[in-house]
Parts: sequence; C-alpha cells; structure tokens
Amino acid sequence: MEAIIDEVVDPADLKKFEKIYAEQSGRGPASTKAQFEYAWCLVRCRSPQDLRKGTVLLEDLFHRVGDDHAKRDYLFYLAVGHTRLKEYEKALKYTEAILKVEPKNHQAAQLREHIKKKMKIDGLVGMAIVGGAAAVAVGGLVGLGLALSKK
Amino acid sequence: MGLMKSHFGSHIGLSWKINNEGADIVSSDFPALTMASGPYNYSYIFKYIIIGDMGVGKSCLLHQFTEKKFMADCPHTIGVEFGTRIIEVSGQKIKLQIWDTAGQERFRAVTRSYYRGAAGALMVYDITRRSTYNHLSSWLTDARNLTNPNTVIFLIGNKCDLEAQRDVTYEEAKQFADENGLMFLECSAKTGENVEEAFLDTARKIYQNIQDGSLDLNAAESGVQHKPSTPRSALSTDQTQNKEGCSC
Repeated sequence: MEAIIDEVVDPADLKKFEKIYAEQSGRGPASTKAQFEYAWCLVRCRSPQDLRKGTVLLEDLFHRVGDDHAKRDYLFYLAVGHTRLKEYEKALKYTEAILKVEPKNHQAAQLREHIKKKMKIDGLVGMAIVGGAAAVAVGGLVGLGLALSKK
Repeated sequence: MGLMKSHFGSHIGLSWKINNEGADIVSSDFPALTMASGPYNYSYIFKYIIIGDMGVGKSCLLHQFTEKKFMADCPHTIGVEFGTRIIEVSGQKIKLQIWDTAGQERFRAVTRSYYRGAAGALMVYDITRRSTYNHLSSWLTDARNLTNPNTVIFLIGNKCDLEAQRDVTYEEAKQFADENGLMFLECSAKTGENVEEAFLDTARKIYQNIQDGSLDLNAAESGVQHKPSTPRSALSTDQTQNKEGCSC
C-alpha cells in the first residue's frame, strides 16, 4: 500500500488532465470523467493545496454520480487524499464505508491497515513530544529548586 | 459478490465541513520506522504492468504470483494495484515491481501513465470471452505507443481451467502472438497453471535483453534499475533505494 500512497503524479500528466478539466469547466460543469481524472491526479500530488483540491472534486463527484461502482472509486481516492493530508480519522471512515458494501475489497482493507499504522506512529511520536516537553519542564523545576537552595 | 444498491455513503455523514487548514506533507516522515535493513537482497528491479479488459483476471494473476493463492470473488480493481516479488534469473536476484491496472474504461486515460518505463507488459485476455480477445489490438497499440521498443510484451490467455467454456482457440491466439512478436501462454490464475512461467519468462527475456546489450540500462525509462551488490548503510530508506539509478 505504501507504493500507492507514496506515488507522485507525473507533472505532465497533472497538467494534461488539468487542462481538459479547465476547458470543460469553462463551458459549464465538467464531465464526471474529466473531473475524476483530474482529481485522481491531484490526490497524487505533494502539495496540500492540490491534495485538498482533489478531495473537494471527489466529494462533489460523490454527490453528483449515482453509480455505486463509481462512488466506491471516489471513496477510495478520498481516503488516499486524506491519508496524504494526514487526516487519518476521515480517511479511515472512507475505507470503512467501502468495506461495509464490499467486505472482500482487499484494496480498501490494505489501505485501512496502512492508515491505522500511520495513526499509531503519529500517536507514538506525539507522546514522545509530550514526554520530551514534560522532561524539560521537570528539569526546569529541578534546576530552579537547585538554584533557590543554593542561595 | 455484487454491489448492493446505493449503500455507499448512506451510513457516513457525507455533509462534513471541509477544513481548509493546510496539512504539511513530509515525504519520509519517520525514516527510522520504515528503514530497509542492510544491503539489497536483489541486484535488479524490473517494472511490469498488467493490462487488459475488465474481468479477465489481471489482479487474480498478480495475487496468484505474489501470494500463491487464488482470490475468489475479487471486486473490480480501483485504479491501480501494486505488488512485488523477488525472483531469481540466471543466479541473479531480481525484484519485480508490478503495477496492475484497472480494466474499466473510466480508468483507462489515467492508467496509461503507468505504462511509462515498464520493462515488461503482461497483456491479458479471457479465453472464455471472445470480446476480451478482440480488444487486444487496442491494448497492444497502447502498450507499443506508451512503452519503449525493448519492453517485453507477454500475451496471457487466462482462465484455461474453464476448457468447456473456451471461446478462443490456443492456435488462433498463438498466431496473433507470433504475428505481433509477443510471447504467449495460456494460464489459470485459479489453479496457478503457467502463472509463474508467464512472469518468469518475461523476466528471463528482459534479462537476456540486458545481457546482449539490446536493453540500455542507462536509457531513460528502460524499466530496469541495477542495484549495487555491496553492503550499504543501514540508514538507506526504501525511498532512496528506488531513486538511485544504476551504478554501472
């Protein structure tokens, strides 16, 4: 799953699908195909702005399109986009939505495991930071105490 | 299992508020936790793609090859899937990085970008559905146009366990393969028959192309990376491994 999550879109591809989408949007609502293709490129970008834009386009598609297979695809890439934005709770919710309907969908299952792993790592790092800050604070107090006692 | 109607999203509130705070993306967040241990245990990386109509069994072939298991009731692939396996050809360990593309039309425009830099392309049809065979010329056109001239294209007639439902003869497909300079086997992702052979024969052919000099490792998008065989710093991450080109 790391390969899928870490993969970065080719800038030429991004530009190509952006152009198609922009041209269509200029004449009214873009086709769902053009919007999906552009969004799929956006959620493989590095910049948070692009990732965000991709998730917004996918949410819009989710509401516009009635087809269940298409909805599943949008949910999956919404999960990918939010994973890359480190919005793990939201990403997790999307993978679970897919698994409720397709319990055997191994792509969604693998992505869910990947997200859970990421959450765990972030949790550990968060604890380490809090722990470190506490140590500094304690150290400061001890130092203060020593300084006072020397007087 | 078929999809039940209109269930997606019915149980999750899809009217959430979008928060526009930027999240920062760091490419290698915690290298210490994802680090590769020690030197490479392979000397080459070959990139493969698997292409063909939907439902021909591309993901099942990949799964059979990487997990040695048949995946029944497998839903249609979303976009692309990825799998790896280390194999051995002529005493050389080779890591296969396999991109399995969704066969559905709505993915086709974007999945084309995964063809780039493939050393091997497995083009799959279903021997029980003639339409999937009839579409091969379109898949072959994409494969030829989007890969380099040295890319090894291997034609796979999948589901050969379903002999009673056969819709395309071996001879006909063999002739198509010969006319187009493709390697060819009939396989079964279900029984595993010829699955190893298809993936390994492709690798042997690529390796042979490297040995006889027809595949230039220094060329952009050859689909092959050569790895140094000397032990490396334990701090190198998978990320950097992939980015380092060949050292030859």
